[in-house]
Amino acid sequence: MAIIECRDICKSFGEKVALDHVSVDIPEGGIFGLLGPNGAGKTTLIRIINRITIPNSGEVLFRGKPITQEDVEKIGYMPEERGLYRKMKVGEQAMYLAQLKGMSAGAARAALKEWFVRFGIEDWWGKKVEELSKGMAQKLQFITTVVHKPSLMILDEPFSGFDPVNADIIRKEILRLKEEGATIILSTHNMESVEELCDEIALINKSKLVITGAVDSIRREYGNNNIEIEYTDADGRHSEVISRDKAGNDVLKTFIDKGVTINSYKELMPRMNDIFIKLVTGEEAGEK
Amino acid sequence: MSFKRTGIVLSHEYLLRVKKKSFLITTFVVPILFAALCILPSVLMLNAKEKCQKVAVVDYSGIVMPYFENGKTAEFTDCSSEDPAVLKDELASRGFDVLLIVSQIDSAKSVSLQTYSKKPTGIDFNDGLRNKANKAVEAYRIGCYGIAGLDQIMKDVKANVKLSEFTLDESGNAQVSESGIYTVISMVLGMAIYMFIALFGAMVMSSVIEEKSSRVVEVLVSSVKATELMFGKIIGIALVALTQFLLWIILTVVLLAAAGAIFDFGGDLASTAQMADMAKGMGGVDVAAMAQNSEMSVIFTTLAHVPWGTLIISFFIYFVLGYLLYASMYAAVGSAVENEADSQQLQLPITIPLMIGFFMVMFAFKNPDSPAVFWGSMIPFTSPIVMLARIPYGVPAWELVLSIALLFGTFLVLAWASAKIYKAGILMFGKKSNWGDLFRWLKQK
Repeated sequence: MAIIECRDICKSFGEKVALDHVSVDIPEGGIFGLLGPNGAGKTTLIRIINRITIPNSGEVLFRGKPITQEDVEKIGYMPEERGLYRKMKVGEQAMYLAQLKGMSAGAARAALKEWFVRFGIEDWWGKKVEELSKGMAQKLQFITTVVHKPSLMILDEPFSGFDPVNADIIRKEILRLKEEGATIILSTHNMESVEELCDEIALINKSKLVITGAVDSIRREYGNNNIEIEYTDADGRHSEVISRDKAGNDVLKTFIDKGVTINSYKELMPRMNDIFIKLVTGEEAGEK
Repeated sequence: MSFKRTGIVLSHEYLLRVKKKSFLITTFVVPILFAALCILPSVLMLNAKEKCQKVAVVDYSGIVMPYFENGKTAEFTDCSSEDPAVLKDELASRGFDVLLIVSQIDSAKSVSLQTYSKKPTGIDFNDGLRNKANKAVEAYRIGCYGIAGLDQIMKDVKANVKLSEFTLDESGNAQVSESGIYTVISMVLGMAIYMFIALFGAMVMSSVIEEKSSRVVEVLVSSVKATELMFGKIIGIALVALTQFLLWIILTVVLLAAAGAIFDFGGDLASTAQMADMAKGMGGVDVAAMAQNSEMSVIFTTLAHVPWGTLIISFFIYFVLGYLLYASMYAAVGSAVENEADSQQLQLPITIPLMIGFFMVMFAFKNPDSPAVFWGSMIPFTSPIVMLARIPYGVPAWELVLSIALLFGTFLVLAWASAKIYKAGILMFGKKSNWGDLFRWLKQK
């Protein structure tokens, strides 16, 4: 069942159309990638899901019912344009944001302490935010996003601004939260992390939905259906690419019969990066 | 709107400011300064009175010395037979503070005075000497005319015309009044409202700008609605203003009362609030009977005649509504910019009417019934300031009701418009917005 269903959403700001009849289903559990070039309308769609922006037409369903402000309390949102009160103390700030998400003061304090321990930052509680480094502030930002145990997390460019070490911590946390059954919407330009993390994606370009579906099937769809076989014979290591319809145990058998050692047999999948560029620039060419 | 979420924002905004050091400092320093300002002149006067100057007088004219009377501030000793040069040297050793030399009567039938002392003698002391000498010279000159009974004639023709001011109430009864008091009250109230609106309205704006420029705002509006955030902030800061104002009043009264007890000033140092109480107590007394009394009683009867109930209630209504009106505009402007410097141009439509109101107060107490002041007290952007300045002079009920109704209606319209601008504005990053943008956001769905 879908946790979020966007039904035929249109949104324009004056003359400028931001979303043009976009319908996306986001299944419960797993990581959903929301892709698209800058200005495609991703952030607008995310804001509509969060009820920050009201669409001109269309509706958002949360577990099958029109989304309400109470449902938004079950969402954790880390916007691309994010930040914290610089003059406030870390603990006070985290408490305020957690309470705004409907947590009681006691529950917020307990949950925050737990997260602070997990990230090894217990001694930050009384520090001012302006004393933190950028990476430290990002960690705090992540904690404030997930502290109220949201069933849906929306992370807009979560890795921007993180150094590789901290980005890895966040990546692991995202996977851990997925294991715990949360749904995560990931908006990113980083196609490698899409391949690694996302189960399903939607690609938006120029206000329109271009494609949506499981990552594997999309990659297969846009691939050439080729198989690569790597083997070692007397001359050394070789690889051979063959079409998928010829592939199978028979092919393997011919190799085995040749007396070579097979190192690997794998489907050649196109990179998400290539699919992204192809879809985005292809659309442009098509419109001209 | 959810009251729960608005409440969380409200208490956050309130506590954040009330716990600040700067809030504590201004809350305590201002009443101390204010009390000091009230007390200092009295303290100085008291101290001056206590000091008694011992004066050695060398009177060559022979007419002035009899006019010097020993009092609290000075004691005079006739040393006319001694040599002033010796006296000068021995002044301190003989226990004198001042040596006064009165010259001989000159051709113009006058004398001149010279004083010698270690420390300057002070204006009041000098004026006292001159007054005495003038009297002596006047009496001497009258004597020179040789007309019998002339000094009595001179006394009889001296005039001192009194002016008593009365204002007529609805039933036509005359009441003693004092324009000066009205001026002070209306000015203080007008200025107080102006100050609070300008100060705390700007606080709303900079708080909105801070949330936008630090980018925390999008996180916030994913939890609370933009309107909840805006009104939570506006009301929270209003409570900060009211807290500060009440603390100022309480602390000032306490400080003045304490100072009054310490220095034993009695009645002449009563704070405004105490005066108000006393004046209220006198409300029932036949004020006309007291018209001939001292200035102090005129002040009290005037204070009794000020419509205090109306004034205090109106102060809170105009303060709250005026603040809400301006604060929502300030919030809208703050939402459009990312730093305070960019807000200057957008702020103009807010600061100009506020300034006009401020200057109208200056005008109002010179001419409280002029059409300009009337319209100033009706138009919602200036009415909170101008009407408050008018109330001590008496304002018909219908004008008050109309003015408040207009203000409230305008607030509702502007709050709605500001919320729309705010909602769109806080999410516009990286671009300097202008008036065109604000109007576009207003039209947006």
